[in-house]
Amino acid sequence: MIEFDLTIPRLFSEGTGALTVQLTLETGSLTALTGPSGSGKTSVLRLLAGLDKPTQGRIAVDGVTWFDPVHRVNLAPQQRSVGYVFQDSALFPNMTVRENVSYAAPTGQVRRVDDLIDATGIRPFADQKPARLSGGQRQRVALARALVRRPQLLLLDEPFAALDADSSQALRPVLLDLHRQWGTTTVLVSHYDADVRALADRVIYLQQGRIARDTVVAGLPARSGERIEHIHFDKVTQQWVIDTATSQFRSGNPDWQRFAVGDQVRLQ
Amino acid sequence: MPIDWEPIWLTLRLAGITTLLLLILGIPLAGWLALSRFRLKPVVEALVSLPIVLPPSVVGFYLLLAFSPTSGVGAWLLRTFDVQLVFSFQGLVVASILYSLPFMVHPVQAGLENLPISWREASYTLGQSPIRTFWRVLLPNCKPALLTGIVLSFAHTIGEFGLVLMIGGNLPGQTRVASIAIYDAVERLHFETAHAYAALLLGLSFVILLLVYAINKRVTI
Repeated sequence: MIEFDLTIPRLFSEGTGALTVQLTLETGSLTALTGPSGSGKTSVLRLLAGLDKPTQGRIAVDGVTWFDPVHRVNLAPQQRSVGYVFQDSALFPNMTVRENVSYAAPTGQVRRVDDLIDATGIRPFADQKPARLSGGQRQRVALARALVRRPQLLLLDEPFAALDADSSQALRPVLLDLHRQWGTTTVLVSHYDADVRALADRVIYLQQGRIARDTVVAGLPARSGERIEHIHFDKVTQQWVIDTATSQFRSGNPDWQRFAVGDQVRLQ
Repeated sequence: MPIDWEPIWLTLRLAGITTLLLLILGIPLAGWLALSRFRLKPVVEALVSLPIVLPPSVVGFYLLLAFSPTSGVGAWLLRTFDVQLVFSFQGLVVASILYSLPFMVHPVQAGLENLPISWREASYTLGQSPIRTFWRVLLPNCKPALLTGIVLSFAHTIGEFGLVLMIGGNLPGQTRVASIAIYDAVERLHFETAHAYAALLLGLSFVILLLVYAINKRVTI
């Protein structure tokens, strides 16, 4: 369980304000952060990774506090169990693909490096330098590198942004398979609906540094107790869509057709 | 008149030792200046850059005062290590390090500052310390800047004159480097000797710079 409550002053397109995000992420979930440019998506990842410092708030991961200014706790990025995939992949040009992946591997974990190299499909160019790789290949390497320490939290910052449609489509199943196989709690920043729909089981829509919408794609969240305001079947995605006052839930589960407007969203 | 090779070898020895020591001192300093958020960083940067704007005679004069056996530093060095820096080769090395410091620090600092910040951050999120990140990720990706720093420091030390004259004087075999030998030869109206040393320095400097530009074009990370 990852709980965080973050506040940091920020400059938005419509003036200065504060990024204020409070969320609880289930262990093993894949949550997408979406929203317009400048809404604070990447800032949330940077705050979670410890690359930026919130002015106030708290971050706790599986009961371990990473940030709590009241108790003067602020773990350095090195001390936080995170894997971070940057938009520009941030591969080290002086190292080969294999060296990049094994750079942070725990001692004696050659097998884990090999497993990740195979899982991400980068073995054919494992001995090449990143400069010779395509954008999609680079992001696969970055993904393998980010997972090599088995982090508790995987942060993906627009991993598809610099890719063409084919590369993006090819990377999605790789990411999804790894997520299923490794079960790492993941936060994905993306503004591409296709990526979000294909990958995320929860979608947070940020606007001006605030959560404007919290959508659970499958299953109903345990915290809900709101009444259903609207329900319909989305023919495009073949999913039932339930709207409450603050949230939208989506699922392909046919049992959802039994819900009606006014029903209370039940605990699961 | 046969040329005395000793000033040439002394010059190369001085430049080589100075460059080597500058690598050891200048790289960590450049790294600290490039990556630190220390509030007094501009003060350190200004101090490092002083030799660029000051006349060599000014630097030489103050170093002469500092190294003098009658001064605090000079007396302490003499008493503790039995080392006298004025009019000695060791003194020339120390003075050259201080004088050529910006020529090593500035290119390396600029090279480090130009690297994408995401490389550093990626290494940190992979659990790696700033020091390991510096040696394994940042510095290896600054090869052209490093090469520029090495060559500029070496070439600048070869060309020193005023500072060497102030600190070292003109002691054959100890402080009489090529630039001093040229001055000495001209003073004695030995133009042929002066020309030989000058042409050698000219050729050497040109070859060094040529190598830098040629290698810098080829250097790939």
